[in-house]
Amino acid sequence: MQTMVETRNLRKTYSRPDGSTIEAVKGVNLEIQQGEIFSLLGPNGAGKTTTISMISGLVEPTEGDATIGGFSITKQSMEAKRLMGFVPQEIALYPELSARQNLAFFGRMYGMGGKALRRRVDELLEFVDLADRQNDRIDTFSGGMKRRVNIAAGLLNSPPLVYMDEPTVGIDPQNRRRVLDTVKLLRDEHNMTVLYTTHLMEEAQELSDRVAIMDHGEIIAMGTQDELTQQVGEEDRLEFTIGAQEIAEAVFERIQGETPGVTRILFNPPEQLDEDSSVFAPALLTVFAKRGRTALPQILQELDSAGVEIQSVAVREPDLEAVFLALTGRALRD
Amino acid sequence: MMRKILAVAFKELYVTFRDRNLVLLMFATPLVLSTIIGMAFGGSGDSEVPDFADIAVAVVNLDEGADLQEMINLPDQLPNPDTFPIDAAALFPPLPDGVALNFGDQLAAILLSQPVEGAGTGAIGGFDPTEIGCSLLDESESGGAAAAPLGSLDDLLDATAMDSADQARAAVDSGEFAAAVIIPPGFSSQVAPQFAFDDDFIIRAQAPGEGGIVEVYASSGRPISARIVHSIVVGMVNQFVRVGVAFGATLETSANALAGGIARGEIELGAVDLSALSADLQELDATALEPLGCLITPGANNISAAQRPLEAIQEGHPFARVIVPAGAAQAVFFALFTGVFGIQSIYQERRNWTLQRMIVSPTPRIFLLAGKLLGNLVIVFLQILILLAALTLVASLVIGQPTLVWGGNIAAVLVVTLALSLCATGLGVFLVGLAKTPEQVNLFGPMVNISLAVLGGTFGFALPEQAARFSLIYWGVDAFTQLANAQTDFTLNLIVLFGQGVLLFLVGAWLFKRRLDL
Ligand SMILES: Nc1ncnc2c1ncn2[C@@H]1O[C@H](COP(=O)(O)OP(=O)(O)O)[C@@H](O)[C@H]1O
Ligand SMILES: [Mg+2]
Repeated sequence: MQTMVETRNLRKTYSRPDGSTIEAVKGVNLEIQQGEIFSLLGPNGAGKTTTISMISGLVEPTEGDATIGGFSITKQSMEAKRLMGFVPQEIALYPELSARQNLAFFGRMYGMGGKALRRRVDELLEFVDLADRQNDRIDTFSGGMKRRVNIAAGLLNSPPLVYMDEPTVGIDPQNRRRVLDTVKLLRDEHNMTVLYTTHLMEEAQELSDRVAIMDHGEIIAMGTQDELTQQVGEEDRLEFTIGAQEIAEAVFERIQGETPGVTRILFNPPEQLDEDSSVFAPALLTVFAKRGRTALPQILQELDSAGVEIQSVAVREPDLEAVFLALTGRALRD
Repeated sequence: MMRKILAVAFKELYVTFRDRNLVLLMFATPLVLSTIIGMAFGGSGDSEVPDFADIAVAVVNLDEGADLQEMINLPDQLPNPDTFPIDAAALFPPLPDGVALNFGDQLAAILLSQPVEGAGTGAIGGFDPTEIGCSLLDESESGGAAAAPLGSLDDLLDATAMDSADQARAAVDSGEFAAAVIIPPGFSSQVAPQFAFDDDFIIRAQAPGEGGIVEVYASSGRPISARIVHSIVVGMVNQFVRVGVAFGATLETSANALAGGIARGEIELGAVDLSALSADLQELDATALEPLGCLITPGANNISAAQRPLEAIQEGHPFARVIVPAGAAQAVFFALFTGVFGIQSIYQERRNWTLQRMIVSPTPRIFLLAGKLLGNLVIVFLQILILLAALTLVASLVIGQPTLVWGGNIAAVLVVTLALSLCATGLGVFLVGLAKTPEQVNLFGPMVNISLAVLGGTFGFALPEQAARFSLIYWGVDAFTQLANAQTDFTLNLIVLFGQGVLLFLVGAWLFKRRLDL
């Protein structure tokens, strides 16, 4: 297989207005193969957008370089840029222009014109199922429709490679489904390489051939989903959501010591979701155990006798969430 | 590559014109404003009698005149190559006592729209300026209708002579007059050159003394009227000074030639026909005074002389004379805002990521900026043109007949407008490139624009020309005023405007490159 994108020690340091600096990306090394869907999975602020910005020529790396189809993004940026499409996290469209006008304009930025451009715009409007609304202004569109035009605008030049930065943010489940299916279609029927970023474990799980998990500007794990889940072993994950409650450390010790198969316990206290609201995510107790279903009754009993109020219980097979938890000790929360 | 620039430019235009509020702000506001200007100056818009005229002015003439004898400052003795002393008085024919030039009388007469008397009070040979013809007058037309003034000062000013400066100032303060023009006692001596012989008995012009400055005492309550009076007076005084300098130069050369000849013994005194010589000298003076002849010939329609203030006074309808500089300044002032805030839209494009989308396409960033510049240049261009057209309409209504207030050279008007548009847009690129945030543009943009407007005289008070030259408004208004007067001497203006525009764009683009690291 051919390498489509390769990054070497990509680093980006931003300076803040107050003089301090922030290392948004701390030396990322990636290799994306031609024809695969590669996901960058990580919580908000992990550095996903900054990474994509550097390998698309939007932001100059503080250090390191990336090649796209063999062209350096810093030294041969025009050649490299011709190979890529870009679907930003924001709806990067002119609200006062129609869907068609937006696509036609960005097509011209790729040097297209005339009949070829018209045909490509028709094709893409069909592809995202918006041919009937093509002459309406973007600001009359729903969020999901805007997202679809946003994706179409990233495919104008029929690129072999497309970056998609959280393309499902802020849309309803129906439209999300559509977007995910579209991404798979790009790989399966158009033989495209997709770099997909998300903070949603389920999306990465559904789409990815390979995944890089990112946190605090670093890739903390990378590989196929199987390779990654094997890192956390064959353990199941038992998740207990708990109300706002103090739990003595001794309870955890007892569970770990006396339940067969339990290897590790993590406790995430309640978390304020919104800075200025009183909505809290409940506390989350995660128990890693071989043969989780067998261990469950005993753990429940221990918790009950300790007076812990359990709101829900789930047994999860090894997944990317488990990998993130295992590596960072934190949950990958929305 | 040009296609990408054009694509960005066209998109810029399209987006701008889809935004109704922006269009309203850009075009309707100036239109309303120009209509207000028109109403303010043009009265009810009644085309029969423009009541624009009649700015009440008090004229106080205190000029004592300049004595010709003193002007020439003859030494008691001339250098004598031989033994016998020459009485200087014998060299030049004695001037009759009391012969004096009084330029103040002339200035006052013009302002009061009275017949202008000669500057000299006594008839001395060829020295009577009233007899000086104006060679610049087109002879074929001077007798016909064209000789009649298109608009004389009479249309504009309602002038009253007064005797005392204090009295006149008090009358202005009380609101009776919009302004008082006070011609000081030393006006003629200031205008007329003073001469003296230096040690080598070479005749030299002396620096004019102080105290000859004409005062325009203006009412703060009527700034526009006061400004009109001020500009008229400045124009005329410049004219007198010009005449004085020309007069002095001629006198200096001829007197030196004469004195030099005598001193070197080339001219034998006995053989010199002094009276003929002095007549010659006076002929020369008459030539020097010709421009003055133009000035005081009512309706002289001189088009070729480089005497803008004079033309501005003598040509065109009085309303057109005012609306040209005022309207042009307003037009450029508005254009500055459109330029800056049009370019500032790049921040909005950055916020909604359309800028980033353009940058990730294989398009060099400078092309994106060039496209933005071009798009906004067209917008500014259209805005200025619409304003000029609107002002033409307003002026035509006020004057009562279709009048091309900007002159008939449409191509030149377009070129000047283009130069101004480039300059305004280039300034936008520069300011937006210089600022770190859109908020800074919001703060500094208007500050810079208003400063340029103040320098350029947009708000009704003129700064010294040296300062005004820093403002593109000055160059633009100057070019438009020239066009209105059918002059084409604005190559320098075009160079300055185009050059400044390109320079500002390049520096702005360079600054921008550093800010485009998102
Ligand atoms: N232009 C910038 N200036 C300063 N800090 C930035 C800038 N862009 C991103 N950051 C910071 O870099 C970190 C990574 O951001 P980002 O790449 O957007 O993360 P993600 O896309 O994974 O949510 C964050 O802490 C963010 O605040
Ligand atoms: Mg992001």
